[in-house]
Amino acid sequence: MKFTIPVLATAAALTALPAVAQDLVLSIGSRGYGPAVERNIASYTAANPGVNIEWNKVSDVPGETRKLYVTGLTARSPTPDIYAVDVIWAGEFAQRGWLEPLNGLLDDATIGAFNPSLLDASTVEGKVHALPLYADGIHFFYRSDLLEKYGLELPRTWQEVLAASQTITEGEGNPQLYGFVSMWAKIEGLFMNWLAFANGNGGGFYDAEGNVAVNSPANIEATQFMVDLLHEHRMAPDSILNARPDDARTLFQQGRAAFLMVQDFVHAPLSADNSPVADKFDFTRVPYFEGHEDANSTTMGGWFLGINPNSANKQAAADFLAYFTAEEQQLAAAVEDNRAPTIPSVYEDPAMAGNDVLARFGANYDFGVVRPSAGSGSKYPRVSEIMQLEITNALHRQKTVEEALNDAQQQLEALLAE
Amino acid sequence: MISMISPLDRRRHLTGLAFITPTMLVIIAILVYPILQSIVLSFGQSSIDGSGPYQFVGLKHYAALAGNDRFWNSLWVTLTFTAISIPLELAMGIGLAVLMNEHFRFKGIARLAVLFPWALPTALNTLMWRWMYNTDYGLFNAAALQSGLVDRPINWLGDETLAMMSMVVVAVWKTSSFMALIILAGLQSIPRDLYEAGRMDGMTRWQEFREITLPLLKGPILVALIVRSMDALRTFELPFNLTDGGPVTATESLSLYAYKVIFDFIEFNYGAAIVVVQFLVIFAMSLLYILTLRNKD
Repeated sequence: MKFTIPVLATAAALTALPAVAQDLVLSIGSRGYGPAVERNIASYTAANPGVNIEWNKVSDVPGETRKLYVTGLTARSPTPDIYAVDVIWAGEFAQRGWLEPLNGLLDDATIGAFNPSLLDASTVEGKVHALPLYADGIHFFYRSDLLEKYGLELPRTWQEVLAASQTITEGEGNPQLYGFVSMWAKIEGLFMNWLAFANGNGGGFYDAEGNVAVNSPANIEATQFMVDLLHEHRMAPDSILNARPDDARTLFQQGRAAFLMVQDFVHAPLSADNSPVADKFDFTRVPYFEGHEDANSTTMGGWFLGINPNSANKQAAADFLAYFTAEEQQLAAAVEDNRAPTIPSVYEDPAMAGNDVLARFGANYDFGVVRPSAGSGSKYPRVSEIMQLEITNALHRQKTVEEALNDAQQQLEALLAE
Repeated sequence: MISMISPLDRRRHLTGLAFITPTMLVIIAILVYPILQSIVLSFGQSSIDGSGPYQFVGLKHYAALAGNDRFWNSLWVTLTFTAISIPLELAMGIGLAVLMNEHFRFKGIARLAVLFPWALPTALNTLMWRWMYNTDYGLFNAAALQSGLVDRPINWLGDETLAMMSMVVVAVWKTSSFMALIILAGLQSIPRDLYEAGRMDGMTRWQEFREITLPLLKGPILVALIVRSMDALRTFELPFNLTDGGPVTATESLSLYAYKVIFDFIEFNYGAAIVVVQFLVIFAMSLLYILTLRNKD
């Protein structure tokens, strides 16, 4: 009986330890969700003094972050506790057992509040493995001052964009000013770009029956336009082939491009007080090809937050996750930082009425197209790699557009039949 | 055999064994085990975290590699990179070493400056160069455009040939000093009186270099060459940070391709097969090294 007290004390100390040391590590890029990350961490830790949250600022280039996660998750590292996953990885990571099912950790009402079609992306075997944090898409940013200067209408079709670009660059006569910039390096963003062009011409990854049809005539025509835009019309600089989203954004922000095609996030830096183009730009829906005004040319993306199954503090992580994605926080991120909410009721809030930018982003999402990640599951990285490589082959004129897309089609059929 | 060794010898052997055991254990843990594990992986199919059963599939992955154009491309890229950069590094290295061996003012500073690129991590070096090569803001294009040499920016890292050349330049810039260091050590071990004798026989500086310096530098040069070749054959940080293997796959080295297969596509077994092939290429290099040195002695 004498040793009961030390035993009890030890047991108490052991159970108390995790409660005291609730150190959570959150991995998310600094660009994607912007200032809301810092704000949410600060407000949560102020309300929960026992919790300590470290923000691990991972790269905003998804491919790089993915490599980091894969290394850690295959080694079963307990950190990060909570991490941001691209919508295209959610299903794959859940399948691989890299995301903790949330149904046991959060109540049904919390999970049920989210947009059900977004939840589908992380639902495997009936269990939700990550919560959608925000949605985004590709938009077409333009220099409103230059359009006005040359008396140009806002271009709606790619043919009009080409004509407007030529008028502006010839008129300005400045070799430092390019017509069009975007993210055409061999990255996921290139595939997103291609989907925007292909769908804008009535094509796409799948045909009407849902079969892979990347070498359809409409896709060949759209891809040829991308090649010509670069090599024949010289509408884009050669550097577009090395450009990632921020490289393109930087050129546009420094006044060196008339048109820019990237995701939502550039709106904040472009409109910041110190931005040289702050009051000279606007954005619209991604252009389409003549005769396809109903085309779904806005390639969609988005990010989820999930929990590492090896985390030592899963419940604490889940509580923070629920707070981070809750209505109040989403409303603030929407109103202040233009991040598109994933809980439908947030859009109904009166505070949203004043946000014109987000409303217009939302209007573009009506023409949204998603990447084929749901249909290809854990094969998606290879699907995307095949497309990136073959599109790059065409853009570098290593292959004709037809050869490149035929090769892609053949490889995709073989891969998906495996 | 054992009975022929005296007790004293045996004790000496045991002492020697005790000294090398810790090192051998470390080598086994971080070198031998991963190599063997890679070989095992390359002949089988296993789950990504090793939890599922391992199935032996024989040469399946190697057969797939043989028909994989991208693999052959990466092997070709690696060999081309090695074949172009090593001779340039050697030439630069000898030049720098001879220079550093001379007596002149600020010699210490000059030596430090030469070693600086070698001391910086490759990844850091490479990022610095990537900015200099940048098509729209880079130093090289600013100079070329402003001096009127070109009227359109050159896409250094976006053209197949230029990208490879750009990569070679960074490698030469960084590692010539390593070559120089090894060769400098060799230079300083050449007895002065050989040169004095040469001068008495009326040798020119060039003859001195050809007839005395170079033959006596054969050993150090060989070491530098082999060590650098092995390094170049597994180059990773350079293409990873400079070009990400692009444009298309023009600078995708074996290491980079293996890395992509393993971490992007999460195919550990197929990736292991690539790594094993790479190991064999480097192993052949090492054999060459050992055999050449043995012949010399």
